[in-house]
Amino acid sequence: MRKRIYGLETEYGLLIKDSEFELDPVDAANRIKNHIFTSKLGILDLHYRANDEPPGNGGFLLNGGRVYLDMGHLEYASPECATLTDLITYDRAGDCIIQDAVNDLGWGDSIAIIKNNVDLETSATFGCHENYLVSRGFPFDERDNLKLLSAFLVTRQIFCGTGRIGACNPHPFRDWEGISVEEPEETVDFQISQRADHIPNEFYRWVQYNRAIVNTRDEPLSDPSKYRRIHLLVGDSNMNEFAAAMKMGTTALMLELMEQGLAHRDWILAESVEAMRSISRDPEFKWEIMLRNGTRTTALELQWKILETAKKHLTGMSHEADWILDGWESVLTDLPKGPEALIDRVDWAAKYWMLSEFKREEKLDWNDPWLKSLDLEYHNISKKSGLYWELEKNGDAVRKTNNEAIEYAKSTPPRGTRADGRGELVKTLMSTQVGYLIDWIGFRLSRNEEPFLMLDPFISYKDEIRNYLKDMDLGEPVESGLSVPGHARRNISRPALYEKAKGFNRG
Amino acid sequence: MVMNDPLRREEKREPTPDRRDAGPSSPDVTRPGRDDILKRMKRVDPKQSERYKQRTGQ
Repeated sequence: MRKRIYGLETEYGLLIKDSEFELDPVDAANRIKNHIFTSKLGILDLHYRANDEPPGNGGFLLNGGRVYLDMGHLEYASPECATLTDLITYDRAGDCIIQDAVNDLGWGDSIAIIKNNVDLETSATFGCHENYLVSRGFPFDERDNLKLLSAFLVTRQIFCGTGRIGACNPHPFRDWEGISVEEPEETVDFQISQRADHIPNEFYRWVQYNRAIVNTRDEPLSDPSKYRRIHLLVGDSNMNEFAAAMKMGTTALMLELMEQGLAHRDWILAESVEAMRSISRDPEFKWEIMLRNGTRTTALELQWKILETAKKHLTGMSHEADWILDGWESVLTDLPKGPEALIDRVDWAAKYWMLSEFKREEKLDWNDPWLKSLDLEYHNISKKSGLYWELEKNGDAVRKTNNEAIEYAKSTPPRGTRADGRGELVKTLMSTQVGYLIDWIGFRLSRNEEPFLMLDPFISYKDEIRNYLKDMDLGEPVESGLSVPGHARRNISRPALYEKAKGFNRG
Repeated sequence: MVMNDPLRREEKREPTPDRRDAGPSSPDVTRPGRDDILKRMKRVDPKQSERYKQRTGQ
């Protein structure tokens, strides 16, 4: 398997548990974000990144990742990671950074940070975005290739979904003339994906409303002549480490099959959006689908076909590829045995089992509000109260990393990518008064007109950055990462960085 | 997968031997840990979902 760079972006929900709590969720999220930076885990942006991202809205972290507010949600973007183990470790580190801030503020019993993707009452949705770096030559512009990726993404939910109570009536595509077609409500007790109801299109480049199974935005955040970043928003936020690793790992192998021209056009679905919803909502977990060639099959059978092709061509290419293939086979083998056989590896199965047991014990109906509240609590990132953590405590959740590595990753960048150099930069700037503009693709300091570009995500740039900073007068140390004197902000602008790196767009 | 770096080591659960070492025993009818999970679930406020007022994001 080719070297990949992975990344995950998580938008968190925020639940006010204490009715006497004085802040609304957006204000609370802002205080949590500020606390992370006053705790010296990173440095806040000094300049506008966009109209809705003013100075102080977020910033880069010592671990090379980023915390910020996005549309009222607290969001963490992992640093660029070269392995799945790193990715899951740094994704979990983001959860811990945020929960630590909540606890430090004394809000551990008053609010909860919910790592899910849907408000079960209002049908608001928010995402978990996956990033995969591929070569610029990746066959992404050919429609059948997009349909192949779509077929894979629609059917992978049988082991990647996190499940939810009920349903949201899907929104049809909103075109320029405002045409909409209302569909009748369908009663759904439980479905296996949180996002399935919120994806009305097969391909589209927007990320809010009209979301698509395959997001086609071309925003490489690296050298556009060499790389492309596949940015997906169709997946759920996983609590289970193994499930998160399978989501990213099997998708990386599918991209590999596509890149090598090994994906079969017979895998293309007749109606991807419809299949996305019908698979998710199937109460009998049969997951029947129709292929474009007229064949009736199931999501499980299609996943087996893709796995068999991957095993044939990719076995032995790397330890990571072999680990993914083994794990993929194990979940496909166990899916027909029912949810209880997958509690340790599949989020929707664990949630379904928990809710079913509780429902039976308390003699509740699926539409009881208590079950909705328990659905949310599965995703509470606090180990003290979140339901998922009881599984991990009992050894009933297969892990991909460990707590020591996660603790380390809160303040140390991963090796093998440019996040390593970015972490070095953040560490140095934290104790200076120099003005800065940092982005995924490079940085510029107020003491120098020339930006420092980090165009290749596979290069750490650590030594180069150390040397660059060594000869520069960075000023007297400051006490807090939250405030930088006004003079430090002079003579630096975001466009100036991008003039030097045309084609990267913003991230 | 074998990794030398302890920070990158994958955790695997080791099989645990039968405590009694007295041949096969009848299977548990309930999953171990089920009662602890149900206890934790009972502590959840049944109405909290109504207070989860989120904006649509991306």
